[in-house]
Amino acid sequence: MAAKTPEQINEDLMRPLAGVSASYLIVLACFLTIVIAGFAAFGWQIYHGIGVAGIRRPVFWGFYITNFVFWIGLSHAGTLISAILRLANATWRRPVTRCAEVITVFALSIGAMFPIIHLGRSWLFFWLVPYPSERGIWPNIHSPLLWDFFAISTYLLGSGTFLLLPILPDLALVRDLATGLRKKIYTVLAIGWRGTSRQWHRLETAMHIMAIAVIPVAVSVHSIVSWDFAMAPVPMWHSTIFAPYFVAGAIFSGIAALIIAMAFLRKFLHLEEYLLPIHFENLGKLLLVMSLLWVYFVFAERLTTWYGNERSEMAVFWLTQRGSYSPLFWTMVTCNFLIPFPILAIKKLRTITGTFIASVGVVIGMWLERFLIIVPALSHKYLPYSWGTYRPTWVEITITAATFAAMAVLYMLLSKFIPIISVWELKAGLHEKPHPLRAVAQPDQVGAD
Amino acid sequence: MERRDFLKISAAAGATAALEGCGNPDHQLIRFVPEEDLIPGLATWKPSICTLCPAGCGLSVRVMPGDAEVVRKGQLGLLKMGLAKKLEGNPAHPINRGKLCPRGQAGLQVTYHPDRLKGPLVRTGRRGSGQFREVSWDDAIQQLVSHLSDLQESKSEGRLAFVTAPLRGQRKMIIDTFAASFKRSMAVEFAFFDDSVIRSANAASFGHALPPTVDMGESNYVISFGADFLGTWNSPVAQSLGFGQMRKGRPGERGKFVQFEPRISQTGASADEWIPVEPGAEGMLALSLAHVIIAEKQRPAAAAGHAGSLVEGWSQGLTDFAPEKIAAQIGVKPETIRRIAREAAAHDPAVALIGDAAVAHTNGLFNALAVNALNALLGSVGKPGGVLFGPVPAAKQPAASLESWAAQVNSGAAAVEVLLLYNANPVFAAPAVWGVHAALDKIPFIASFGSFIDETSALADLILPDHSALESWLEDTPVSGSGKVVVSVAPPTMNPLHNTRAMPDVLLEVAHRLGGESAKALPWKTYDEAIQASFAALYKEMGSKTAKDAEEFWKKAQEQGGWWSAEESRVTPVSGSSAGAAVKNSAPRFDGNPSEYPYYFLPFASQLFYDGSLAHLPWMQEAPDPLSTVMWGAWVEINPRTAEKLAIKQGDLVEVASPHGKLEAPALVTPGIAPDVIAMPVGQGHENFTRYATGRGANPISILSSATVEGTGSLAWAATRVTLSSVGQGKLILFGGSLSENPPELKHR
Amino acid sequence: MARQWGMAIDLDRCTGCEACVVACHAENNISTVGEEQAAIGRAKHWIRVERYYEGEFPDVTVKFMPVLCQQCDAAPCEPVCPTFASYHTSEGLNGQVYNRCIGTRYCANACPYTVRFFNFYNPIWEKPLQLQLNPDVSIRSVGTMEKCMFCVQRIKAGEIQAAAEKHELRDGEIQPACVQSCPTRAMVFGDLSDPESEVSRWAGSSRATKLLGELGTRPKVTYLQRDSWHGSEDA
Repeated sequence: MAAKTPEQINEDLMRPLAGVSASYLIVLACFLTIVIAGFAAFGWQIYHGIGVAGIRRPVFWGFYITNFVFWIGLSHAGTLISAILRLANATWRRPVTRCAEVITVFALSIGAMFPIIHLGRSWLFFWLVPYPSERGIWPNIHSPLLWDFFAISTYLLGSGTFLLLPILPDLALVRDLATGLRKKIYTVLAIGWRGTSRQWHRLETAMHIMAIAVIPVAVSVHSIVSWDFAMAPVPMWHSTIFAPYFVAGAIFSGIAALIIAMAFLRKFLHLEEYLLPIHFENLGKLLLVMSLLWVYFVFAERLTTWYGNERSEMAVFWLTQRGSYSPLFWTMVTCNFLIPFPILAIKKLRTITGTFIASVGVVIGMWLERFLIIVPALSHKYLPYSWGTYRPTWVEITITAATFAAMAVLYMLLSKFIPIISVWELKAGLHEKPHPLRAVAQPDQVGAD
Repeated sequence: MERRDFLKISAAAGATAALEGCGNPDHQLIRFVPEEDLIPGLATWKPSICTLCPAGCGLSVRVMPGDAEVVRKGQLGLLKMGLAKKLEGNPAHPINRGKLCPRGQAGLQVTYHPDRLKGPLVRTGRRGSGQFREVSWDDAIQQLVSHLSDLQESKSEGRLAFVTAPLRGQRKMIIDTFAASFKRSMAVEFAFFDDSVIRSANAASFGHALPPTVDMGESNYVISFGADFLGTWNSPVAQSLGFGQMRKGRPGERGKFVQFEPRISQTGASADEWIPVEPGAEGMLALSLAHVIIAEKQRPAAAAGHAGSLVEGWSQGLTDFAPEKIAAQIGVKPETIRRIAREAAAHDPAVALIGDAAVAHTNGLFNALAVNALNALLGSVGKPGGVLFGPVPAAKQPAASLESWAAQVNSGAAAVEVLLLYNANPVFAAPAVWGVHAALDKIPFIASFGSFIDETSALADLILPDHSALESWLEDTPVSGSGKVVVSVAPPTMNPLHNTRAMPDVLLEVAHRLGGESAKALPWKTYDEAIQASFAALYKEMGSKTAKDAEEFWKKAQEQGGWWSAEESRVTPVSGSSAGAAVKNSAPRFDGNPSEYPYYFLPFASQLFYDGSLAHLPWMQEAPDPLSTVMWGAWVEINPRTAEKLAIKQGDLVEVASPHGKLEAPALVTPGIAPDVIAMPVGQGHENFTRYATGRGANPISILSSATVEGTGSLAWAATRVTLSSVGQGKLILFGGSLSENPPELKHR
Repeated sequence: MARQWGMAIDLDRCTGCEACVVACHAENNISTVGEEQAAIGRAKHWIRVERYYEGEFPDVTVKFMPVLCQQCDAAPCEPVCPTFASYHTSEGLNGQVYNRCIGTRYCANACPYTVRFFNFYNPIWEKPLQLQLNPDVSIRSVGTMEKCMFCVQRIKAGEIQAAAEKHELRDGEIQPACVQSCPTRAMVFGDLSDPESEVSRWAGSSRATKLLGELGTRPKVTYLQRDSWHGSEDA
């Protein structure tokens, strides 16, 4: 493949913004319908009462909290990958970073809706916000839910910034290439980016600071989310392993989501020459590492539980291992490890298709993992007389489906308004000095053999 | 005012308005002038009487003013009135001493039930179609009067029949007197769970046709043969008080409680030892215990006195009942029999009780006499810690049985012109084989005083709804539960909500309008007049230390909920009637060939629905049955081995078939039942009994045989055999998530 | 010293009759949820009688244990509530302020005794059943959590009455509905900070245990274990 010129890059990466095809609109409409169905289901729930969902005594949290943890978890990929890769100067990251950052912001936004959706009185969600209320009390700072509120809003703010800052140069590029109304809009959005070296310098500094700052925020977010469970004396929740376990799981699911998003973009936006097999290979290797890490955490937790032989914990343990939740449990293990491991470990299988399949498995597996952490434990707490079951209703299923559809919709829409691959970063990679110890061409030099 | 207070008040006002304004903004309900003196927010406590089971506990009712939607002169409006809000036990009442069972607590819902009949009704459509129209009380009474006056005058064969629950006191007197004023009238008392066998046995053994009052609080050893004395049998609250006292109410002492029955009942669950026994073998078991006591010289045979002499072979020491001889037949190990006998003899006061299924076998009377003899042998009769008989006047000759009455009507032997129904639902609560429904079909005119449409009152031509208990004058003479003489009385705790009338008042007015015999026999204008007259007589007989005249006596009685003697007066057992020759050992007989119908069928009184008459109360439907934890349904209890053998899993819909019918209900697998016994609660399976009970579960009474208890003729409801098979998927709503505290999932490795 | 309300339940007396269950429903305006909702685990029994079978036929025993909010002094439900709907009162109760509750249901998950009940829908009383409602207890709306508070309305009324009559509260003067109705007198309620109160004496019994005490919740309900018959020793 011949090396790409900046003009070629512009053309390739701006093409998606040029217009929409019929098939694009049809697919968008389908997803949008599901999203609207989700809103309708939520409206139904507000009108009739949260009883239309399947939660009950003793399983007071179900699909909604599963989705909450899942989507917040998914959001870790983006920023962490982007931030860590930047700091590590991994040059192959360039086409990947914006995809990743976008996933973070969208997944966070979707996930952050669930603390509202799952409330018995959703319309009072703002009581979680610390403002001087007529009730005369502040929210309870001891509650992990309050920590969630702060952590997620901080993370949303941080990753929003982390996404929007490097978009500026590309917004300016669109502004420069566009005409008419679009030019006017993008002029506003680009907030006066001129590409002066001073501005570039500021941008790089800001990115550097954000890259460092966002990592502890991201780690804290999912630690805090995990503490929603670990702080309660529920058998198999009250475990010290939860914070690192959840963070690892979050990164795991995030990388998988990133691979899936990239695979779709590559195919539908014709970015075959930008999102290369090597990208998928490298991310695949990361996914492999996370899969092994996930297995390690699960094994460590379960070994300790089994060894401890505490009655109530063992009840939950066996429930997932060989009881009524075992089909889901073993599906999860298959999706998170048994299928991905060979695919990702064997170089021949670590192709774009291969990593895509593994990633789909991981997304399913990680959703199941959240479900299996929450529901079996709640269904079998300390007093057997109060054991129960859980079954979701159409409301929860519709809203869950709507979250995936919403992700798709947001992605599809964004890719039409902003280049999904960071144009300026890609171009910057063209001029990057090759590593002194490397004789081989860098993969970020687009088009290089 | 503070903004917060304003919000609170407006929210409260809004809520009240929302609750009572029926959400119809178009027309506000008009407000009627209150008919009583009320102070807003102030609660008063008024005495009353619980009428939901025969125990006759005293109530203390919390009454507070509130807004009720009522109809006055055909107009719907809001009326501020005193409303009963909470029922408690009357602390002063000797029977329940301030305590109340779950059914008593739920009595409040009878008054406020949405399906309560709001006024007199006359049938318009076909009988049983449920089509009625409202009429005025004047019309309704006049209709009844006209049908009855035909009877008074006519020379036809037509008769009056009055079917009621077993009643007591002035209410019974008025009904009996009313019925008796018609030639050849038939007064029939019916309740599925009645104490007629026990009364017969006690009359024979001890000369008192009464259920026993158990002084359990002083007992050291209690043996119960199937009597659910902590749940539904006899006087549960009084017995529970005694039980609590026996267990832990005497520092340093704790009595032992042994329950013999084939299925763990509500009561058996609290036993120190639950020992299964073959159905119907309770009498033999009692005699075996007696044999051991006599043979080991713990008590002389003669100690059992007349009660002992009623048992064949007693004076010879009951050698036929040696444990080793009968162990296999009765299903109890000989060493167990010997041990229990020794323990009981060594720890007096020891007392034995029998009830429920044990006296509902064909040999129920024998079983009861055997236990009476055992009690006499143990020396507990008439003594502290044992059984005594309250000083209650002996019941008159028992009324005709419902079974024979229905048979007579069906055969044409009795031509009943008019049937009056009060507090009885025989179409539901009597076995289908008795043909009660068919008998009712033959009767030209049926009038019901019930407050609800149920299976029986649905067949009425005229309905004259009674007040609910809390809206009524009540009086009662409990027959058991205290050693004191007790005559309860209570004025209404609240004004009637609906256009109902007190049944005795209606009868008195009917009698008045009829004139003649009826009017002469019932001179009072109102029921409370009659009660007051009885209290005047009581004052004359008993005198009073605190009241100076009959007026004051009457007033004080109303204030405290009745009159009771200061001291306990145990009536000594007399030699009793020589009720014929000694009763031979009779083994129970069962209806149904064992090869076709392998299982004993055991209906049992439900802790929540009792005999089904409380199934319409939502609190009772939603409260989990204590042993099964079932809500809103019926179930069939099966032993785990039996279930495995028949490939029945928990929740499967099973068909239970007797020689007389079949029913379907979900299976509940429980270890607390013998493998050859199938048990089912009585109470569900209503076809027509308010929105809460209709179409729910199945009614075990419907498939029972008509076998009777030898010697009394009452229904032997434990004498049916059944077969069982799985027919599909049933629905079990269980509140409890585990049968055991240590289910397999919780076992350590 | 401020009163510390507590309860003791003698399992040797309890017969599982559920008078307490129904009395509680009546006193506290607990709505009936109906068959369909009860089938999916939404029935609200603030006090319930846990029933456990042990053994196999014919050696079967049954254990009854009334379980209600333990008003834990180290309640796991209190730190997790973001709006302080679950909080500890000065008299030792675990308070539930319905108006503050936004329905996160974290408290119900954190409670090891599963004694918290949620209103999944607005309550319904088919007229005129609403007339049975106790005016001293508020109606809870959809989306809020509810549970036993030792009949705090009776406690408050009793305290106010005693103050108005200018006498000290007597032990046993205030009784929650469950305690009042129990036919075997298996339940006792009173001030744990008064060593002479009956509840304190029962709590000092050799049979006294705490349910799930090992979790460190410091519950204020003491269970007196079922005793056994000692007569066989002197037979």
